[in-house]
Amino acid sequence: MNRASAKPDSLSQRGAVARPGGDRPLSLMSVHCCICNGDDAEPIAVGEDFEYRTSPDTFLAMRCRQCGLVYLNPRPAVEELSRIYPPDYHAYDFSQEQFGFVYKVRCRLEAGRLLSCCKGLPDSARILDVGCGDGFHLGLLRQFGQSSWQLEGIDPSDLAVIAANRAGLTIHQGTIQSLDLPKASYDLAFMIATLEHVDNPVQVLEAVRSLLRPGGCVVIVTDNTDTLDFRLFQQRHWGGYHFPRHWNLFNPSTLRQLAQKVDLEVAQLTTILSPVNWVYSLHNALVDWGAPLWLIRQFTLKSTLALGIFTLFDLLHQKLGHGALLRVTLRRPF
Amino acid sequence: MKSSHPAPVAIIGAGIAGLTAAVTLRRQNIPIVLYESGQRIAGLAQSFNDEDGFSYDFGPHFITNRLAAALGVGAQCRTVRHYGEAVWLQGRTYGYPFGLLQVPRFCLSGLASKLTPGNQQRANSSAAEWFRASYGKALANEVAIPLLEAWSGADASQLSAAVGSKLQNSIGYTFLLKAASHLTHRAVASGYSHEMPEHPNVWHVYPEGGTSTLCQRLADGLEGAIALESPVESILVEQEQVTAIRVKGTEQPVSAVISTAPCSVLARLINGSDALRPLTKFRYRPMVFVNLRLNGRGYLPNTVLWTPEAEFPFFRLTETPLSMPWLAPAGKTIITVDIGCEVGDAIWSMPDDALGVFCRDALRPIIPTVQQQYLGCRVMRSSIAYPIFLNEYEADRVALEKSTGIAGLYSIGRNGEFSHMLMEDVYWRTQNKMRDVQADLKSQIGGQSGIA
Repeated sequence: MNRASAKPDSLSQRGAVARPGGDRPLSLMSVHCCICNGDDAEPIAVGEDFEYRTSPDTFLAMRCRQCGLVYLNPRPAVEELSRIYPPDYHAYDFSQEQFGFVYKVRCRLEAGRLLSCCKGLPDSARILDVGCGDGFHLGLLRQFGQSSWQLEGIDPSDLAVIAANRAGLTIHQGTIQSLDLPKASYDLAFMIATLEHVDNPVQVLEAVRSLLRPGGCVVIVTDNTDTLDFRLFQQRHWGGYHFPRHWNLFNPSTLRQLAQKVDLEVAQLTTILSPVNWVYSLHNALVDWGAPLWLIRQFTLKSTLALGIFTLFDLLHQKLGHGALLRVTLRRPF
Repeated sequence: MKSSHPAPVAIIGAGIAGLTAAVTLRRQNIPIVLYESGQRIAGLAQSFNDEDGFSYDFGPHFITNRLAAALGVGAQCRTVRHYGEAVWLQGRTYGYPFGLLQVPRFCLSGLASKLTPGNQQRANSSAAEWFRASYGKALANEVAIPLLEAWSGADASQLSAAVGSKLQNSIGYTFLLKAASHLTHRAVASGYSHEMPEHPNVWHVYPEGGTSTLCQRLADGLEGAIALESPVESILVEQEQVTAIRVKGTEQPVSAVISTAPCSVLARLINGSDALRPLTKFRYRPMVFVNLRLNGRGYLPNTVLWTPEAEFPFFRLTETPLSMPWLAPAGKTIITVDIGCEVGDAIWSMPDDALGVFCRDALRPIIPTVQQQYLGCRVMRSSIAYPIFLNEYEADRVALEKSTGIAGLYSIGRNGEFSHMLMEDVYWRTQNKMRDVQADLKSQIGGQSGIA
């Protein structure tokens, strides 16, 4: 579930869509650290839903003093998901019509990344995309991968499933914990920009593990808190917070601890570049400071210039091992 | 036969500290009972509204956006756009702190104090010396020490240096926070939080309904665990270990007691140990807060005006609507006059209306038209408004920071810790202390099972 901006013509004075019910507080719940189950955390950021304005709430990002995980606490109750993922949420419709040039560039980039994870898969490989959204990645695998691969996706959202089905993809609606999919049957799973959205990463990864064949892998791509953009914007505006939709945020250390907890081996852990958190950090700061809309619009996923500049910028960081996204390949032991 | 269920932890007092303690322990599945002697929760955080549209907060006026977010009440809070302080000296006002620094004698004496060898050793001897060493003699003698003495009712040479050491950020960082406040039009917190770092993204907010809103939110997670109108009559201690409490004449076994009561009160509740006897000496400053209702607005140069000169019977004036316009109807204002006193003295005993007139008349040098604009007053009294850090019991106070000296007994919150902390610090400190409680309870259970 990557990020894009709302429609520019529906931007309100506060830089986001003015939506019905957006002035009603969410039901919030307190949580513990999902890795160490501890309750000993320090507050690091107070933020708002700068992008979609789905509620008037303020949110607190905390960092666990035991393991270093950054997590939202308190966070919206699960029954509020339909509010915090409104119908215009970009992950339900990341289309060429909406995103033009950015869509084309991203397709090429993402296709290359996906296929690099698929090396060595058998012709009959069964591949699962957990949190597939509108099926963007499955579509790329279908377009650029082997036609014999069996591609499936999982997503709980009606809107995502409708979009994916429209594209002719096989989608299981629900959460991975609730669906009764065949155990030890999948060769490869993807969780691309998904882990940070789920309520219980441990349970989700345990469920993914149970679906993988022994030796099968899950590739996780998630926001990286071990970055310069995080350090610069961590007090409020960091794009990776995506308040209030990113519930757990990782660095290489916490991701390794998570893998260990669910008995998956770290086959590869690297960082990859992305301009998105840079662009959205600036976007959020401008929204928060009441900047004019024309300026805010220079920092969205439709802003080719900003994306280009920060792609180069993040390339430098990625070369130093601190790219904006973490990509880890976890293997189910034989 | 012994019950397999552990005895609950008893928490005394349903203010922000007691409620935070209760919520934190309950999240760890530790059984708790929260005893409140009053008819309702919220302790010092209660707010009142009158029929004319004025609001009065007893205790803190505002919190930070960080605390609001932690409690999940951010949506119920209004942003405070401005907050500032000034000092009244010889008929002029000076912004705090930078206006004072522009006065040559304050600036020069401040610089001299930094360059004088041996100042730091002297600074530890008393609050008076601490201020002289840190601010310079001129600023200390003319402003800081008179204010401290009016506030505490004690001679500054008798007060602990710890009063000062808890006060401020550096000048440079204060400047940064003030600048951020101007740029963002948000009252960025400065010198407010000590437990968590201050930065330009932490500012003041006002919860709708006053700070009791926070207490209510905390209490929402404590169904069935709050006993109202249930004063704890005594805490029973055996071999320096808490064993039970007595409530309404009935003894109830407990695994620990967490008290938010003033230290001197807590010491008197203990039955079976003398460990807390030193705490009976701890004194709190009684205070009268006279809320003057006035026609018009903007009488003070800033939200808070400090008045260190002896001609005034008060030491601080606060025009809250300058920061929070919604606390008074349009075209009107409230000025809160803080007067230190002793329980039973002339100020404490003065009827409310007479106090209003007394303050009104004393305000004339600062607000010449106050007599014509005066609409009436509402008075609040607290016998335990602020802890007084007297040197005579400083060693006992420092010891209390570490422990009560009785196993299973914890003293928390502003009054319980005998500390000058504000709302957000109470919250984070209490959370941290509850982790200690949890660890102690675990080792206690571990020890018992080891014996078994």
